[in-house]
Amino acid sequence: MNKFRIGPQTISLLNGKSLLTILLLTSFLWSLIQISWGNIIHPGGGDALKEMLSGFFNPDLSLPILRRGITAAWRTTAYATAGMTLALLIGFTLGVIASGSLPIGGRYKVLIAVIARGIAGFLRGIHELVWAWLFVVAFGLSPLPAVFALALHYGGLLARNFSEQFVDVPTSPLNSLTTAGATAWQTLVYGRLPMALPNLISYSLYRWECAVRSAAIMSFVGLGGLGFEIRIALDDLYYRQVWTFLFILMILVLVIDTWSSLIRKRMAQ
Amino acid sequence: MERYVLSEVCKSFGEVEALSPCSLSINAGERIALVGPSGSGKSTLLLLLSGILQPTAGTIEINGQFLHKIKPGKELSHLVGMVHQQLDLVPQLSAKHNVLAGRLGNWSFFRSCLSILIPQELETAKSALKLMGIESKINTRTSSLSGGEQQRVAFARVFVQNPDVILADEPVSSLDPSRAQAIVELLCNTTNQYRKTLVASLHSIDLAKKYFDRIIGLRLGKIMFDIPASELKDDTLQDLYELDEEINSLGS
Repeated sequence: MNKFRIGPQTISLLNGKSLLTILLLTSFLWSLIQISWGNIIHPGGGDALKEMLSGFFNPDLSLPILRRGITAAWRTTAYATAGMTLALLIGFTLGVIASGSLPIGGRYKVLIAVIARGIAGFLRGIHELVWAWLFVVAFGLSPLPAVFALALHYGGLLARNFSEQFVDVPTSPLNSLTTAGATAWQTLVYGRLPMALPNLISYSLYRWECAVRSAAIMSFVGLGGLGFEIRIALDDLYYRQVWTFLFILMILVLVIDTWSSLIRKRMAQ
Repeated sequence: MERYVLSEVCKSFGEVEALSPCSLSINAGERIALVGPSGSGKSTLLLLLSGILQPTAGTIEINGQFLHKIKPGKELSHLVGMVHQQLDLVPQLSAKHNVLAGRLGNWSFFRSCLSILIPQELETAKSALKLMGIESKINTRTSSLSGGEQQRVAFARVFVQNPDVILADEPVSSLDPSRAQAIVELLCNTTNQYRKTLVASLHSIDLAKKYFDRIIGLRLGKIMFDIPASELKDDTLQDLYELDEEINSLGS
């Protein structure tokens, strides 16, 4: 009886799962030895870190800085909104075509849907920062690269989501519209669109929030906006200002998030 | 005048024969109730009559032309309208838009888009909903209507569509008996008033006898009887349902 019990327990110590645990644990401990702890924080870095932390509790709330922050936040929101507007146009058009729910192209319908899906995949496959760099080469340092970068990457994201939403709509109300004499285009307007709309709106609002954060990041490369202000403040070692701008960014994202969840709640009713 | 002529129509889904070869004709203005146990082929027959399903063999003529040669869409929508068991309304649209969807066959794409913003032919929707007794719900979102109200919206749509034939698959299966009677009465009176042909599948024999001219009994995909409602005897019905019970008990 006793032997019977011990048997499986001894085996369990050596099974694949525990072996993996031992391996991972060993490699972690080994990596701790490999780090040269002396160089991890450069000389003076500790002081900078302290200063940065104190800035968190004591941000620069002087009027000119606040004014600069709010203007920058407004600019960032404007870039994000402009980018999202273009992205919605791209995403909706590509999404409808990619869903294959319209009689576009007759017998090449499937091919056209696949091409649209491919374009959407290409657009979202390249990160918005990379798009921004490419556009900076073409347009120089102006807000346009940021807007176009957002439009392309987010257009691809929206296209994929929208096309899935159009396909996932329940089919029986659509068939019923067809029996009532509706064409495929009319079915899109009276069936697919209204049934998918709550999801389309809530996804677009979420992506808009992401676009605001992304626009702030893109302005690090000198496109103006909150990120630009944060970079300048960091370069000048004004950590209290850095925190002011970061807080403004957080508040901005929070406001958008609250507003969009209010809209979503109202739509659900 | 003959509305429908079915000759040797049958329908199979793979190995399963949902409807055995049957021939029948339906006159204009007739009100026909399809009765029979679940799975007897009532829905299949209705879907064949609507042109949604194509028969495996045999032909269906409507107003003297072959049903399978009529393109779905505008032309077919003037001949046949159907109210499905699950109603199949668009829940996010208001009642008026679901009713006005019955006009899509007559509207251009531009006009149907415009109608979402500025409802077109609103009077038509109003009078159809009034006919169904729920005029006050015209602006209500369809998803917040009760089952009975949605039923009325679905009927209002088919009346706005204004086809020669109205098909209804279990129109009152989700309603309590008194509401069911009110709806069937409304449906029959309205189709009568507008001289439409009505074919509806029903579970309630009482409603079928009271409001319909002709009753067709189906069992296991076969037409067991096809008689005027006044001639339906209780023992005929017993055969229709009892025989099936025997087969069911044998199967289990």
